[in-house]
Amino acid sequence: MIDIKFDGSGSPSSVTNKDFDVIILGAGPAGLTAGIYAGRSLLKTLIIEEKAVGGEAASTDAIENYPGFPDGISGFELTERMRQQAERCGARVLITSVKSVALGNTTKSVETDSGTFNARSVIIATGSSPRPLNVPGEETFKGRGVSYCATCDAPFFAGKDIAVVGAGNSGIQESIFLLNHVKSIAIVEFLPHMTAEKILQERIMKHENVSLHLNSKLLAINGTETVSSITIEQNETHKKQDLSVSGVFIYVGLDPNTALFSSSIALDEQGFIKTDDRLATNIHGVFAAGDVRRKILRQVATATGDGARAAFSAQHYLNR
Amino acid sequence: MAAKKKHTVVVFTAPACSWCRRVKQYLKGHHVPFKEIDISRNTQAAKDIMRRTGQAGVPVLLIDNRPIVGFNKSVIDRLLDIKGHHDDH
Repeated sequence: MIDIKFDGSGSPSSVTNKDFDVIILGAGPAGLTAGIYAGRSLLKTLIIEEKAVGGEAASTDAIENYPGFPDGISGFELTERMRQQAERCGARVLITSVKSVALGNTTKSVETDSGTFNARSVIIATGSSPRPLNVPGEETFKGRGVSYCATCDAPFFAGKDIAVVGAGNSGIQESIFLLNHVKSIAIVEFLPHMTAEKILQERIMKHENVSLHLNSKLLAINGTETVSSITIEQNETHKKQDLSVSGVFIYVGLDPNTALFSSSIALDEQGFIKTDDRLATNIHGVFAAGDVRRKILRQVATATGDGARAAFSAQHYLNR
Repeated sequence: MAAKKKHTVVVFTAPACSWCRRVKQYLKGHHVPFKEIDISRNTQAAKDIMRRTGQAGVPVLLIDNRPIVGFNKSVIDRLLDIKGHHDDH
């Protein structure tokens, strides 16, 4: 593992000059890669992040399918390196809340808690957030047994029986991590099969303390103060059963973070940003990259590719 | 920008928790001293957090004995008198 040493320089940066060539919204892998490419093109580049650098990828315990790391790398370490690289290339990273955006004019503006910033081009790389299941008990027990972050919450479930909902890459990868802490895992998947990479499927099924409930729907999360069980239903037989668990980790997909743009940017029916081959949106000078845009595969590897393409397109737009 | 007055800050963390690292990074960036407690090594601390916050998750901060669950930047900024942005380059 690579030891990242912190010197505090990743904290909010002072940005006294409010005018930039390009503003990148979001500091996940897509936004940081766009920052690297834009910075190396000598564009005045500002990356604005609302929460924390790294995005959803930073919460992943082990990323094993990003090229260049044969032993895998934690999402935090990978994205921290991306941040350092983006800043080394000249991009500025500002952590602040975005209040509103005005994208329609030649000069775009982004109003934040730290002031209003302007640029001739904007790259939207705001990513996505874990999708809630919206089942009874989910909201009630959020943080009290319901979790969307295994790396944050796993130690609280040491030696306990838990459930993981979703058998995609995230669900299985995080299950493998959770097995370091918990007694057993019941994996609940709505589809009749797992959708995680085959290598992950093989790895998880080697564990005797993992049970698989395919073709099953989570109906409810039950408990009093904390979670004590879940109720699932088999899709074909409609047979219901309660599983005694102390925790439920939910990995059933992602919702795009597009609330700021929903009135101005063209979205698809699921709320993801529509882009063309250059990753341009329906507004001139505004591009989108990473999980937030409509695409078939949301991975760090595709996000970085998006970031490079969006920055290239932004540069081309600015030089036209 | 350093915090204007001295605060007692404790951060409860877990080793693989990226949000915990971000919180620590944020505090260090603002020159806020803090004590770190790894709940994976201190099960009593984990129980204490659950008792005090009702939450089974980290990071949890205690700022002057007031618990804050998660990287709640606006609350952290308010309690530590962190304003706007600062020069770090």
